[in-house]
Amino acid sequence: MIKLINLTKDFKTTLAVNRLNLEVAAGEIYGFIGPNGAGKTTTIRMMGGIIEPTDGKILIGGIDMSRDPVGAKKIIGFVPDRPFLYEKLTGMEFLKFIADLYRVDLRVFSRRAPELLERFALWQWKDEIVEAYSHGMKQRLIIAAALLHDPRVMVIDEPMVGLDPEAVRMVRDILKGLARQNVTIFVSTHTLSLAEDLCDRIGVIHKGTLLAQGTVAELNLAAKTGEARLEEVFLTLVREL
Amino acid sequence: MQSTVWILLKPRLLSARNGLKPNEQNGNRSRLVLFSLIGVTFWAGAFAIFYRVLRYFQNVQDFGDILAMKLLSMMIITFFTLLLFSSIINSLSHMYLSRDLSLLHSMPVGVGDTFLSRWLGSTFDSSWMVVTFSLPIFLSYGLTYQAGLAFYPIALCAIVCLCLLASAASSLLVLLGAAVLPAGKIRTLFVILGVGLALLLVLVLRLIRPEQLVNPDSFASVVLYLNSMQALDWPWLPTTWITDAVRLALKREWGPSLFNLALAASCFFSLMFFTQTAAGVLYFRGFSRAQTTSKRLFTPVKFHGYSWETLLNFLSRPAKAFAVKEIRSFFRDSTQWPQLFLICALIVVYLYNFSVLPLDKSPMKTIYLQNVFSFLNVGLAAFVLSAIAARFVFPAVSMEGEAFWIIQSAPVSMKTFLWIKFFLYCIPLLILSEVLIIASNLLLGVTPFMMFLSIVTVFFLVPAIVGLSVGLGARYPNFKSENPALTATSFGGVLFMLLSFGLIALVIMLEAGPVYRIFMSRMHGHGFSLPQIIWFALSFGLALFLCVFAVFYPMMLGEKNLLKR
Repeated sequence: MIKLINLTKDFKTTLAVNRLNLEVAAGEIYGFIGPNGAGKTTTIRMMGGIIEPTDGKILIGGIDMSRDPVGAKKIIGFVPDRPFLYEKLTGMEFLKFIADLYRVDLRVFSRRAPELLERFALWQWKDEIVEAYSHGMKQRLIIAAALLHDPRVMVIDEPMVGLDPEAVRMVRDILKGLARQNVTIFVSTHTLSLAEDLCDRIGVIHKGTLLAQGTVAELNLAAKTGEARLEEVFLTLVREL
Repeated sequence: MQSTVWILLKPRLLSARNGLKPNEQNGNRSRLVLFSLIGVTFWAGAFAIFYRVLRYFQNVQDFGDILAMKLLSMMIITFFTLLLFSSIINSLSHMYLSRDLSLLHSMPVGVGDTFLSRWLGSTFDSSWMVVTFSLPIFLSYGLTYQAGLAFYPIALCAIVCLCLLASAASSLLVLLGAAVLPAGKIRTLFVILGVGLALLLVLVLRLIRPEQLVNPDSFASVVLYLNSMQALDWPWLPTTWITDAVRLALKREWGPSLFNLALAASCFFSLMFFTQTAAGVLYFRGFSRAQTTSKRLFTPVKFHGYSWETLLNFLSRPAKAFAVKEIRSFFRDSTQWPQLFLICALIVVYLYNFSVLPLDKSPMKTIYLQNVFSFLNVGLAAFVLSAIAARFVFPAVSMEGEAFWIIQSAPVSMKTFLWIKFFLYCIPLLILSEVLIIASNLLLGVTPFMMFLSIVTVFFLVPAIVGLSVGLGARYPNFKSENPALTATSFGGVLFMLLSFGLIALVIMLEAGPVYRIFMSRMHGHGFSLPQIIWFALSFGLALFLCVFAVFYPMMLGEKNLLKR
């Protein structure tokens, strides 16, 4: 469902992503971990169609992001790492805006928007302008907006930042539920326990290069760390480079 | 040990210094050169115009001095009004709305020091332009009147005093406003002040009646004329002290001049004492209340279940979504309102001035003058439109701010996004410009040909200006700005203004020749020769081509740049 081929991003001063190759199957949850500045967000922003790669290809559901960005974006639910929104719109108005952009059927919207707002505990805030929302509420609103058009692929950068423990559990359950419905999830995170618990496979990126990928057991094998927790595996792999 | 106020000002000073450092990537050096060139051109232009006007006044027997002093008084009153307006806006944002205030208030610094540092920043921002551009005016006065050397420092002190007075008074007003208004309504101050200042501007411009300067014979006697000119020279107004300080220094009456200056300075110090005392009590309380989410001024009204959005149903869904989002964001951001009111006030003054133009006093034929004015009016209206576009349309792309990722990740092409923005601004501005042109032409009583030509020219110029504005706004966006509206004064904003003025001037010049020929032949009943017809077609064709080019090329540049980000 997601295919990255020789994906490269060169910012001239930094080679942020260097010939990245990976594939994620339908219904799989793929975790993307790495230290600060490893190239996680750059990769995710390229996958979301926000920045252009210097080289390489991104295929989402078989659609080439560079050839048909609109088509590819239609099937993606994108969640950035920082919840910047239109501050002067209310929560409900923001969802309507997104529904119009993604051309969500109006009957579907009128059913789905209240359902999502309820699920993300935002219903009572639906008519307040986003300016008044807390960081966590904005993050929840963005996730709700990303789910509005029933995406086939979710690309999520740091989903749990700013969320309270209850919301973390809620988001984790939602992501697992989506994967069961065959939605592909590509998630970048610093929370290694979350990656360990949530993801089917994990990729470790450092200095723009994919060091290793696989299940936690496969990563342990690559790092020669026995049956260690992901944190130990991660630190070993990163230190080696 | 450094004073706390100095330390608080340092981030700003250091940021300014770092911003000026040559940086290949940002092209800071070329920006600096461009801005300096524009500044010097305006400076020299202001000097040349004032010098010429004052020399002309000197040749008017008996009245010369009076006219020059009246002009000085008008200028100072106008400066003071502008300073009050910009000081209030700056005080509000510097003291209550800036993003860095939370950090500042979390530091172990006294309220008095915090207030003073913000006040100094706000005073500088609201005054530097007035001070810079008043200097060539004072220089032209000094040279015309062959003033002594002491005139120049006195004039400089006088204008600085004027700025400080305006800033102190505005800050006091803002402090009191923030303390009195209920929490969540503090931003409403912008709206109240916007209406107030728009009214004040109309009032001041009408009270000083600038058209009288060129029409002294409408008064029965010299005494009546002089009396009418004293309208705003009340002795208890700070503007009168400042005017007198400059006026008397021009005449080398140093003692009385310094007395007036001292009067203004002491007024500032006592006002500042009250402001600083009030700040000690009210500032933090006001700031703390301002942190509450702003309440909406108006709640949407539905008519039989239909809201205003229904009116936009003819648009495609994404276009309507953008339009609704844009309109909502604009009207819910009360910081935008004062400028909107100000534009309305300027339009009223603009139209009113056409109604009081003393055309019948001219030695030239009235019909000729009416049509010349009508033609110039097209250019003038386009210049006004350029200014409006620089303020509202150019920042339209930057207004997406950090939320621009939504557009980037949405299934809408960048081209569609930009064209939606284009039409969103083009349609209302086209309506506004056509109304302005038709109304002013009706007030002038122009010929049907001129009416037709004005309407058609504006019909093509407006999309060109909007296209240039949206396109360059996308070519030079700033998504990280705390106040995207300020991008109007950035490199791209200034470039837009220059190109826009150039385009208007070119179109007007291309049309001027053929229009003059057509107009004269109609007056004298002549026909046109074939070369003349070819000339007309080429001129109008080239003007049309320029307008079309100004729509498409910048839009393409903008799209290319946004895709690269």
